[in-house]
Amino acid sequence: MNPVPLASGGLLAGAIVATAASLWMLLPNGREFQSTRRLGLLLGAAAMLAFVAAGRRLGGLGEEAVFLLVSLVAVVSAAATIVSRSPVYAAIWFALSLTGVAGVLLVLGAQFLGVATIVVYAGAILVMFLFVLMLAQPAGLAPYDRVSNEPFLAALAGAVLLGVLSLSIGRLSAGVPACCAPPARAAAAADAAGAATDAPTAAGTTPAAAADLAAGPPAAVAADPLSDNQVARLGAELFGRHLVAVEAAGVLLLVALIGAIAIVSRGEAALAAEADAVRAADRRTSR
Amino acid sequence: MNAASLPLLQNALTVGAILFSLGLVGILTRRNLIVMFLAAEMMLQGISVSLVAWSRYHGDFGGHVLVIFVLTVAACEAAVALVFVLQAFSRTGRLDAAAWQSLREATVGRTIDRELPAVDTVPPRFPTLTPAGVQPATDADDALEREHV
Repeated sequence: MNPVPLASGGLLAGAIVATAASLWMLLPNGREFQSTRRLGLLLGAAAMLAFVAAGRRLGGLGEEAVFLLVSLVAVVSAAATIVSRSPVYAAIWFALSLTGVAGVLLVLGAQFLGVATIVVYAGAILVMFLFVLMLAQPAGLAPYDRVSNEPFLAALAGAVLLGVLSLSIGRLSAGVPACCAPPARAAAAADAAGAATDAPTAAGTTPAAAADLAAGPPAAVAADPLSDNQVARLGAELFGRHLVAVEAAGVLLLVALIGAIAIVSRGEAALAAEADAVRAADRRTSR
Repeated sequence: MNAASLPLLQNALTVGAILFSLGLVGILTRRNLIVMFLAAEMMLQGISVSLVAWSRYHGDFGGHVLVIFVLTVAACEAAVALVFVLQAFSRTGRLDAAAWQSLREATVGRTIDRELPAVDTVPPRFPTLTPAGVQPATDADDALEREHV
């Protein structure tokens, strides 16, 4: 990661200060002083331009800062989901966590998945959870919401799991194992190894071949999620290579739908039968 | 794809690992059925972040496709699970996982809530608006008329 140039950092700081100043001038303060507001508007426009320029010159810093922000939102609100005692608050914190996760997915270049996470999770699944909560939650905090099972052991287990995962993530810095290296890099590494072994014989032909291999095979470049028409190419991949899996997912959705309805109707029949039996028993005892 | 994608991969994998661990802790400790399912969904979110991070690193769509199937399975799971939760609630009147502890292993002891923490006696504080101005004198008959449409 390149160090941030000082001029770009100064530009960014200037943009931030200008934004704050323009907000201060634009906010209503009880006086009708038109020239101050006009100056504030001008300053705000200049600040936006400076932001755009600084974002271009800073390069990676914007991505890193946004990633830090959204991942902080996701993780902090996920922790709040776990620890909040009211299940309604837990569901709302989970919605915020989903927003953060969608931001992380967007930073990672998964535009369709970021939007789908918001639509499917926050829009459908979470609202269903909240509906059931409103239907089934007793007033106030239930006793089982005020205690938890073995909190110390569970936190210890979580810490151990996180530690092991972080160890294996940190070991990626030493070198990605050969199974998991991206194809372009694996080809480049193989090429480098080959060039090291038989450098004298292939000295005349390697530059062009090395450039080809370092650029990766054309198929890999075409499948790069970060280039244009991402959603269209994702759809082509989904309905091309994974068509059978899509059909299986459709069958799974249908089975889940029918299963949910079947459980509800049989459960209601069983409850009605139970109520009938209780009523019959009452009649027998009253006689 | 650039050379800087390894730190991004590691950061995203770390976020996914944290989400997965938090979901694990939640599903182990919480007793409310709904919160347990929220924790399970959180574990799925951690997996999704990790898959997309690898997909970004490799420069292909494999992780994206897998995450789409994860979304599908999560929707199915939520539908069936919520039906189960509603049935369980209508039978026991509680959203408590311990209400179904007769299904436990024979060697596991019972969960009995003997020493519950005291009920919150301090009422929650909600924001209130300070009364502003003088309350206008109202006539009960005026309220029945509509002067303006």
